[in-house]
Amino acid sequence: MTTFILRRLLLTIPVLFGILALTFFLTRLIPGEPCTAIYGERATPELCAAFSARYGLDLPLGQQFLAYLGRVLQGDLGDSIRFSRPVTDLMAERLPVTVELAFLALLFASIIGIPAGIVSAYKRNSPVDVVTMIVANIGVSMPVFWLGLMLAYAFSVGLRDTPFALPPSGRLDPGTEVVPFFVQWGLAPDEAAASPLLVFISRLYILNGILTVNLELIANAARHLILPAIAVGTISMSIIARMTRSSVLETLNQDYVRTARAKGLREFIVVMRHAVRNALLPVVTIIGLNFGLLISGAVLTETVFGLTGVGKTLFDGITSRDYPLVQGFTVAIAFAFVLINLVVDLLYGYLDPRIRLS
Amino acid sequence: MTANATIPKLETLDSVARRKHKSPLMETAGNLRRNRSAMIGISIIAFMVFLAIFAPVIAPYDPLQPMLGLPDHSGIGRLPGRPPCIHLLGCPAEEPQHLMGLDLNGRDMFSRVIWGARYSLMVGLLSVTIGIIAGTLFGMIAGYAGGWTDSILMRLMDILLAFPSLILAIAIVSFAGPGLQNALMAIAIVSIPVYARLARASVLSVKEMEYVTANRALGAGHPRMLFGQIMPNALTPLIVQGTLGIGSVVLEAAALSFIGLGAQPPTPEWGAILSEGRNYVFTSPHLVFFPGIMIMITVLGFNLFGDGLRDALDPRLNRI
Repeated sequence: MTTFILRRLLLTIPVLFGILALTFFLTRLIPGEPCTAIYGERATPELCAAFSARYGLDLPLGQQFLAYLGRVLQGDLGDSIRFSRPVTDLMAERLPVTVELAFLALLFASIIGIPAGIVSAYKRNSPVDVVTMIVANIGVSMPVFWLGLMLAYAFSVGLRDTPFALPPSGRLDPGTEVVPFFVQWGLAPDEAAASPLLVFISRLYILNGILTVNLELIANAARHLILPAIAVGTISMSIIARMTRSSVLETLNQDYVRTARAKGLREFIVVMRHAVRNALLPVVTIIGLNFGLLISGAVLTETVFGLTGVGKTLFDGITSRDYPLVQGFTVAIAFAFVLINLVVDLLYGYLDPRIRLS
Repeated sequence: MTANATIPKLETLDSVARRKHKSPLMETAGNLRRNRSAMIGISIIAFMVFLAIFAPVIAPYDPLQPMLGLPDHSGIGRLPGRPPCIHLLGCPAEEPQHLMGLDLNGRDMFSRVIWGARYSLMVGLLSVTIGIIAGTLFGMIAGYAGGWTDSILMRLMDILLAFPSLILAIAIVSFAGPGLQNALMAIAIVSIPVYARLARASVLSVKEMEYVTANRALGAGHPRMLFGQIMPNALTPLIVQGTLGIGSVVLEAAALSFIGLGAQPPTPEWGAILSEGRNYVFTSPHLVFFPGIMIMITVLGFNLFGDGLRDALDPRLNRI
């Protein structure tokens, strides 16, 4: 196992290096002078000179790349032009919304997708199966942002004045006061005094609500996140349902399932303990690999629902031509993607020893 | 029962020889015909292609021309300052109406949506074609040459795969500048590694086959071996993946246009139409509803067809 982990870790290094190289050279695609492209009409010769010195644009390309590598290794992804703040600070500030959204989306996708897939496989070719697969096919074919807009319309206009009405935007009702859990627990008097990790956790509002036993806050935050989570999670749900179906279908035909039936186990136990449990391994991988879909979905959905997360910040960076922000966020997302894939790989190797050997 | 009936009738060599031989193409077509979802997929694609080709004939109005003040679709009179009724959602007969209503600039939505089929299909087909050609070339060279060439090319592909595809496409277009052409290229670039890996795997499995060795023994040169012998036998998974890929490419192109990086207004591309109407979804949902439905139906068509094609061409392939 140690060799397996080490080999996978070593293989990751060149990929991370490649990501940095690629994003560095992407900035070379900017048409014209970077300084004028970035600052537009505000670009003065003095500003451009300072800009060139700051980014070492007058140096040879190789040297510039090395300098860039050095900065990234020190955790400096550059400064956002629009916000005049370090990109890493923005990332840390905006990440909790996206993490919460992605987690809820994945929860929605798994809670609906896995049982739907199991039932579909067990009742193969029945109307339930056909309907599930039609829904799954439609689910992977829908543009995430369109689904988001339609849900927002249906639940805030169509179902207005009914108990099902949900807010179409924002993260909490206006004027909601959030008491961070570390303040209530007496760990720190305010955000400034708390460690970044505590601040990060406290900004996951649902978790903060649970930690401070504030049911109102939990309900408030959840009501705002339900629609975006459904929009982001629908594609994953469809993929998970299809994957679960095909995987369960395979295990249902195995000899040990027949043996389990033959020895007189109850059908429910046969399906859940023998067929489903063995079928879930590939499903776990698919869930892990859905991170890319979730983050792309978040970029498109956060703008629709006015959630100031990583996706919306990236979107704002694109529209205001904030190149350092786009570059920094792209690097950070790609790094996270690689690391999550690595964790999934390691987990898979742990769960299924055959993988380690091959 | 007579003794005769129990003896199975044996085929003579002659009858076997005379049996009609099906070409692989005919066999695939037969398999496809029996696959209901593939047939639905083909019908949807055919419908979209029809719309795209005959857009100038089908669309009643110019997709770029504002309609206000002009005669309306129902022929009742000139359009007033307020928006006409949306026919598809139900209208009283005496009211001025347009099939899908008008957009914010007073342009006929139905005409714009019909013309949109052209852009989405064009982007889908072109970027997948570019992706397949480039990916196949990379993958085949890597698989055929092996050694360092293989390592370097495939590590490059790994790096491209290290990004969520839409995020990389967004990064490329936001640096290269927004526009349909750049979006198309970006989507093609991010799809290269998938095809490269497939092509490489196919080449590796075909490369060692006896007919290839025989050709090498006969003195065939590298290009002839690669393109004449190996490629035709490694194409099947690429075609399947390509068909399935068109659906996601159409979605990605729409997403790029939606965030303002793809087709620019007033181009009637579905994602761009959606983007223009997004802020008005609560008052005029038709601006968003119709283009979104068209994207969904198109993608569904390609997905269903791709799934069917995969089953028809190679039942051994993993079915998700």
